[in-house]
Amino acid sequence: MNAMAAAVAILGVIPSALGEGLVCAHVIDGMSRNPEMYSKLRTTMILACALVETTAIYSLLVSLLILFVG
Amino acid sequence: MFDNFFSLDIPGEVISSLIVMIIIMILALIIGIQASRQDPLKKPKGLLLIAETGVKFFDDLTKDLIGNTLPNFGGFIMGTAVYLFIAFIFGIIGLPSPVTNMAIPLSLGLTTFLGIHLISAKFTRWAYFKRYVEPIPIFLPINLISMWAPLLSLTLRLFGNAIAGWTLMTIIEIALRNLSSMIFSFMPVVQDGLLAGNWNEIFILPIPKAVLSLYFDLFSALIQTFVFILLTTIFIGQEIPEDFSINTLERRT
Repeated sequence: MNAMAAAVAILGVIPSALGEGLVCAHVIDGMSRNPEMYSKLRTTMILACALVETTAIYSLLVSLLILFVG
Repeated sequence: MFDNFFSLDIPGEVISSLIVMIIIMILALIIGIQASRQDPLKKPKGLLLIAETGVKFFDDLTKDLIGNTLPNFGGFIMGTAVYLFIAFIFGIIGLPSPVTNMAIPLSLGLTTFLGIHLISAKFTRWAYFKRYVEPIPIFLPINLISMWAPLLSLTLRLFGNAIAGWTLMTIIEIALRNLSSMIFSFMPVVQDGLLAGNWNEIFILPIPKAVLSLYFDLFSALIQTFVFILLTTIFIGQEIPEDFSINTLERRT
C-alpha cells in the first residue's frame, strides 16, 4: 500500500515537467528572434527552470517520505 | 568513523558542516593575509583574484536587486553562497554532504526568514505589525500561516534537491556494483587481511559515477546556490520600502 501511495504522490512531477518544457520552448523562441539576448535569457531560463522544478521536488520528497518513513 | 565523535550522538552531516566551516575560515584567513600584503597598484593573481571577482560579483548582484540601502548585504550573500556551494559539493569526497540532513537547509532558511522579518521591522518600525492585518483584520490567521511559506519553500527546495541527487547516485552505485560483480565473478573474494572485501564490485563504477557527479553534484550545486541567494535577496529586498532609498538620497544632497 505504501508503494502505491508513493507512486500516486510522484505523479505531481508531470505538470512540472510540462511547465519546464513550456519555459524552455518560449526561451528558445525568444532566443531565435533576438540572438543578442542569448546570455541574459539563458541565466533567466535556468532560474525559471529551478523555480518550476520546486513542485516536482515537493512531490518527490512526499513520495520518499511515504516510502522510507511512513 | 564519525558517528562516535567524542561519544556524542552528532550526525555525520553536522560534522561535515563543521569541516566545511573550518575550510572556509582557513580560506578566509589566507585571502585576508594575501590581501593585506598585496600592492594595490599591481594585478591580483591566484586565490586573491578569485576572491576579488567573487566580491565584485556579489556586490553588483545585490546592488542591482535591492539598491544601496543595505551596504554590507553583499558580504552576507557571498558567505551564504560559498558555504552552500562547498556544502553541496562536499559529498564528492565520500563524506556525507551537509545538505542531506534537514537541519542544515532549515538553518539556512531560518537565516533568510529572520532576515525578512528583522529588515522589515528595522525599516517600518511599528508599522511592521500592520502586515499581519492586511488588507482587513479578518485575514490575520491566513497571514499568520502564510508567513511561514518562504521558510518552508527554501528549506524543502534545498533539501529536496540534495536528497534527490543523493538517492539517484546511491541507486546507480548499487546497480553498477551488482553489474560489476556479475561480470567479474571469476575474481576471488579476499576474506581477511588489509585488502579484505569484494574486489570484483569496483571495476565499472568509477567512470559513470564521475560523469554523473558532474551533473548531480556540481551543476545542481551551482544552480541551487544561485537560486537560493537570488531568492534570499529578492525576499529581503521586498521588505525595504520603495521610497526609502529616494529619501536618503535627497537628504544627502
